[in-house]
Amino acid sequence: MVKYLGKRIFYIVLTLFIVSTITFFLMKFMPGTPLTNQAKLTPGQIHQIYKQYGLDKPVWQQYLVYLAGVVHGNFGISFQFSNQAVSYLIGSRMGPSLIIGGQGMVLGVLVGLVVGSLGAVKANTWIDTTATIVSILFVSIPSFVLAVLLQYYLGLKLRWFPIADWGGFMYTVLPTLALAASPLAETARFMRTEMVDVLSSDYIELAKAKGLGKVGIIYHHALRNSLIPIITIIGPLTVNIMTGSMVVENIFSVPGIGEQFVKSVLTNDYPTIMGLTIVYCAMLCVVLLITDILYGLIDPRIRLSGNNN
Amino acid sequence: MKLNSLAKLGGVALLSAVVLAGCGSKSSQSGSKKQEISWMTPSPIATMDTSKMVDLYSAQIANGTNEGLLRMAKNNKVDPGVAKSYTVSKDGKTWTFNLRHSKWNNGTPVTAKDFVFSWQRTVKPKTASQYAYIFANVKNAAKISAGKMAPSKLGVKADGNYKFVVTLEKPQSYFKYMVTQPEFFPQNSKTVAKYGGDYGGNSTKNSYNGPFILKGWNGTNDTWKLVKNPKYWDAKSVKVNTVKFQAVKTPSTALNSYNSNKLDFTTLSGTLAANNKKNKDYTVFPQASTSYMEFNTKKIPALRNTDIRKAMALAIDKKQMVNKVMQGGDITPKGFVPASMAKHNGKDFATQSYVKDGTDYNLKEAKALFAKGMKQVGKKSLSLTLLGADDDDSKRATEFVQSQLTKLPGLKITNQNIPFKSKLTRAQNQQFDLVLSAWIADYPDPSNFLDLMTSNNSYNDGKWSNKQYDALIKKSESTDANNETARWNDMVQAEKILMNDQGLVPLYQQGQAALLRPSVKGVQAFTTSPQYDWAKASVK
Repeated sequence: MVKYLGKRIFYIVLTLFIVSTITFFLMKFMPGTPLTNQAKLTPGQIHQIYKQYGLDKPVWQQYLVYLAGVVHGNFGISFQFSNQAVSYLIGSRMGPSLIIGGQGMVLGVLVGLVVGSLGAVKANTWIDTTATIVSILFVSIPSFVLAVLLQYYLGLKLRWFPIADWGGFMYTVLPTLALAASPLAETARFMRTEMVDVLSSDYIELAKAKGLGKVGIIYHHALRNSLIPIITIIGPLTVNIMTGSMVVENIFSVPGIGEQFVKSVLTNDYPTIMGLTIVYCAMLCVVLLITDILYGLIDPRIRLSGNNN
Repeated sequence: MKLNSLAKLGGVALLSAVVLAGCGSKSSQSGSKKQEISWMTPSPIATMDTSKMVDLYSAQIANGTNEGLLRMAKNNKVDPGVAKSYTVSKDGKTWTFNLRHSKWNNGTPVTAKDFVFSWQRTVKPKTASQYAYIFANVKNAAKISAGKMAPSKLGVKADGNYKFVVTLEKPQSYFKYMVTQPEFFPQNSKTVAKYGGDYGGNSTKNSYNGPFILKGWNGTNDTWKLVKNPKYWDAKSVKVNTVKFQAVKTPSTALNSYNSNKLDFTTLSGTLAANNKKNKDYTVFPQASTSYMEFNTKKIPALRNTDIRKAMALAIDKKQMVNKVMQGGDITPKGFVPASMAKHNGKDFATQSYVKDGTDYNLKEAKALFAKGMKQVGKKSLSLTLLGADDDDSKRATEFVQSQLTKLPGLKITNQNIPFKSKLTRAQNQQFDLVLSAWIADYPDPSNFLDLMTSNNSYNDGKWSNKQYDALIKKSESTDANNETARWNDMVQAEKILMNDQGLVPLYQQGQAALLRPSVKGVQAFTTSPQYDWAKASVK
C-alpha cells in the first residue's frame, strides 16, 4: 500500500510538473503584458515594471524562478491586483469554491444514488420513468442555464434564497443546487443501469432463495456491488463541478476561484491563470487518488497491486 | 379624592404625552430613511495605492476615501478640496495651493509634505507607476521617470505645512482638473513606510482623508463598504452613512438584485439596457469616450483622398448604429470630442465645434463623393480590411460598419476581429486598412482628444496629418496656453478642421445605461474618472 501510494504521489508530482511547464510556455506565447499604458511609458519605466514581475530576465530563467516558486507555493504577483500575491488571491478565494463544490458533489451523488436505486428496484414503473426523465433533464440542461432559472424563480420571484452575494449558508443553497444537478443525473443513470444488472445476477437470486428480506438484499448485496462504477465516475464528476463552478460562481457572485479564473482569462492575468491551473490540476489528481483508494475498500477483488508483492 | 382624580388625570395626560411623543419620534424615524446606498460595480478594487492605480473602478473608490487639492464638481467645475484656494502665476507655470487644516483618519494633519511625498513617490522609477506619465508637465517629472534625475528635483515644494507650490514645464489651464485625480492625492508617508509593498493592499493598510473610510476589503473580495469619515473636514455635509459595494460580473444577476431591492444602482449593457429603457429608474450617464474609425493614410493611398474618406463617413448611419446595433446607453456623436464633457462660458465644446457633414448620414451624397474620389485616384474598386477587437460589442460594430460601407459601389470590406491587445499593437504599427478605436478622457479637457490626432502622436494610428491642425494645437499649448478663450477657440477650430477633412469617423459616444433608485439623490456623475461621487448623496 505504502509503495503504491509512493508511486502514485510520484506520478502526481510528475503530472503537476508537466502541467506547470506546458502552462508556463503557453502563457509565454500569448500576447499581453502587465502594462496598461505601454505607449505612454518610458523604456525605463517599462523595465521597472517588468522587473517587479520578474519579466526582465530571459525566458529560461523566468521558468526556473517560476518552478522554484511553484514548489514553495508562490505563483508570483497578479497583474490584475497590483499588490497581491497570486497564492494569497487563490487562498482567500478557495473557501467558497470548496464549500459549494463539496456541497454540490455530496448532495448530487447522494440524491443520485437514491434516485438511481429507486429506478432500478422499481424498474419499468412510473417511478423509474420519472427518475429517468429527471436524469436526462439534468444531464442536458447546462449548469449555467439552471443557475439562471434558479436565480430567477427561487431568488427573485419566490424570494426564498438570496439572488447573489456571499455570507452564510442561505447564500450557498442556489449555487449548490445548480452544481448538484449534473452529478445527480450522472450518478442516477449509472446507478440504475448497474443496479439492474446486479439485481439480476446469480448471487442476488441466491440471497432471495435464502429468504433474505428485500431491503437487506439491496442494502447488503446490491448496493455495495453497484457502487464500484459510481466511484469511477467521481473523477469526471469532479471535473464537471470544477468547470461548472466557473460559470455558476459568476452568476451567483460567489467570491471563489472559478469566478477568479474566468476574470483572469479575460484580463490576461497570466500569473493567476497559471497558479489556478496548477491548483485545479492538483485538486483533480488528489480526487483521482482518493477514488483509486476507495476502489480497494469497496471491492476486495481490486486490492492494490502492492499487496501481491 | 379631588386631588387623587386630578393626579390621575395628570397621570393620563402625562402618559398620553409620552405615548404621543413616542409616536412622534417613531414616525419621524421612519420618515428619515436609513442613509445607506447599495452600489453595483462591474469590477473589484485592484489596489488602493494611488500611485499604482490604473483602473476606473479603483479610482472611484479612492475618490470616495481620499481627497486631493481640488474636488471634481458638476458642470466642468472644481470645488475646493484639501486646498481652500489656489493662485496661478502670470506665466501660468506656478500654481500655489493654500491648504486647509484637515486631518487623516488616524488623526495626523494633512500637510503640504504629504503631497510632496506622494507626487515624488508616483514619479520615481522605483515605484513603477503606470500612470506616472500624467505628471509629465510637472517640472522635471519626465527626467525623474526616466531615471536621469533625483525625485527630490520634482517641481513641487511645501512652503510650510499649509502651502503647496507646483512648478509646471509649460502653462496648462486644465491642471485644475488633473489635481482632482487619484494620482495627485496626498499620501501619509508614515502609513506608506509602515506597510511598504503592501500599502493599499487592503482596507486597513491605508490612511484616508476623504469623505469616507473603506471597510471590509481584504484585497481580493467582491464586497466592501464606504463608511462616513468623521474626521473629514466637510463631514457635516456628508449625509450618507454607508455606501455598500458589490462587484457583480453577470449583468442579469445585477438586474435581478436590483429588482429585489438588494441594489440601489446597477449598470446595464446591450439587450438588458434596451429592455429596460421604459423603466422609470432608467438613466444614461454620458461618458467622455468616443468610438471612431481610423483610416490608414500611410498604407492605403486611396484613403489620402478626402472625398473617399468623407464618402465613407457619410455612408455610416450613426443613429441606427446607436439605437439598433449597440443598444446600450450610447449616444449619437457630435464630433470627435464627446458632448457634455468640456464647457467654456456655458457653451459645450461639441456643440460649438459641430460640423454637420462630419457625423451626418447621407447615402446619396456618399455615393456621389465616392465615385468622384475614386475617379480622382484612378481606381475602379477598393478592397479594404476593417480591424476590430473580438468582444461582442466590437464584433457587432464591425459587422454594422461593414454592412454600411459595402453600399458604396466598388468598395469591398473584409472584417477581422482579433483580441483587444493584439488589435492595439497592430493599430499602433499601422498594420491595418481601417480600424475601430475608442478613446476615453483622463480629464475633461478637449486637448485630451485633440492631441491624439496631431501628426506625431503615437495614438494617431492612421497617420492622418494636417499642418493647420498641428499649428492650432501647438498654439493652444504655447502662445494661447494662458488665455483660456483664445485656447478654447484654437481647439474649436482644430476640431472643425478634423471633421471637415474627415481625419476619422466618429461612430458613437459611449454612455453608461443604468438603473438608479429614485430615492437616492445627489450622486454626482462625471463624464470622466472618477465617474461617480457619493459625498453629497442622500436617501430620501
